[in-house]
Amino acid sequence: MSAEPHRCEDGTCITCGDVAVPLRVLSLDAERGLALCADEQGRRETVEIALVAPVRPGERLLVHAGTAIAKPGAL
Amino acid sequence: MRYVEEFRDPALGRALSAQILSLLEPGRHYKLMEVCGGHTHTIYKYGIDDLLPESVELVHGPGCPVCVIPMGRVDDGIAIAGREGVIFACFGDMMRVPGSRGTLLEAKAAGADVRVVYSPLDALRLAKANPDRDVVFFAIGFETTAPSTALTLKRARAEGVENFLCMCSHVTIVPPLRALLDSPGLELDGFIGPGHVATIVGLRPFEFVAAEYGRPFVAAGFEPLDVLQSIEMILRQLAAGRAAVENQYTRVVPYEGNPAALRALEEVFELRPEFEWRGMGTIPESALRIADEYAELDAERRYPVPGERVADPLECQCGEVLKGAIKPWECRVFGTSCTPEHAIGACMVSPEGACAAYYNFGRLARREEPV
Repeated sequence: MSAEPHRCEDGTCITCGDVAVPLRVLSLDAERGLALCADEQGRRETVEIALVAPVRPGERLLVHAGTAIAKPGAL
Repeated sequence: MRYVEEFRDPALGRALSAQILSLLEPGRHYKLMEVCGGHTHTIYKYGIDDLLPESVELVHGPGCPVCVIPMGRVDDGIAIAGREGVIFACFGDMMRVPGSRGTLLEAKAAGADVRVVYSPLDALRLAKANPDRDVVFFAIGFETTAPSTALTLKRARAEGVENFLCMCSHVTIVPPLRALLDSPGLELDGFIGPGHVATIVGLRPFEFVAAEYGRPFVAAGFEPLDVLQSIEMILRQLAAGRAAVENQYTRVVPYEGNPAALRALEEVFELRPEFEWRGMGTIPESALRIADEYAELDAERRYPVPGERVADPLECQCGEVLKGAIKPWECRVFGTSCTPEHAIGACMVSPEGACAAYYNFGRLARREEPV
């Protein structure tokens, strides 16, 4: 699991703690509504993007439990 | 990292701390509740409470989804996990939450196929990789997490994955908040609101806190300066003698929430008439179940579960901790027979649980006693 970002590190479970992590979009699978994202350390994760679509490569997403819930700073 | 480093600036923290001091009325004691377990974690990790004057007390609320799952519900999960051919998938923290006859971790040790996943999407992937088994995802969490489950159930149907099922234990934040506000003798001056729940549901559902109960409510981010600034905003309202719902987490929280998420929740789930909360009793319309439209994905309709109500352990005072009535260290078993390694109550299991946060960050002693 070390290849994946944000997991339950730092003594905290991101899902249970209502925590969301900022990830950057690397590429898109538009047909399936998924994005390959990475954190600052380059660790990658597939992310559901239905709640924040449309999404472009390079954009930053706030991700909780594998789902992007917001684009930080987009408001 | 943008949106992270600038919210951890020590100089800004000191300035906010000074600002907070200037807003306090001499002789008045302030009790503010952080609703969300994520905030509890931020407060202890960064020592936010040490930056506050003695007269500002932070009370930990019911917003840890692991901590509020009652024992009977854990038993139901273990019953499904023990069935032939089932892979039971849950978040890591859920593994150690005690039911009446043990934990999911113990069920795994006894032979049940229980796997830790980090998202509903991971569980769906597990189902695709194991087409001859039923994969049951134990869905927990507030409105932040529920859309993720809803979207995954929609995806399972769209992609024709027939062996993916969900045991839905999602809960909603407003009913327990109202139950807390209605608790006799509970004195709270304001609320540090759950920022990521508000990202989904918006601020409107929280307006009642100010309108009906006259308490300030500030939707807050999760970096240390977010929490400090939210405290400052609540105290500013109190100093001006007003109560309003305000948004500190403006970089993420829209007033109306996330319409796509709300539509997904509406489509896939419906409110349960009532749900039992650990330590808080039964609260009407406070949890979600899978709607009839998605019945074939509902593990509770596929498999019989005991569904028994199990009383919390007598010695455990999680209920009072969750309501903010006592501090974790005031519980009779805190740090002695109840520790993160051998938890009696769920508040000690999850790192976001108030008891585990106190225990893990060395706050074993009473604050007012010199250590």
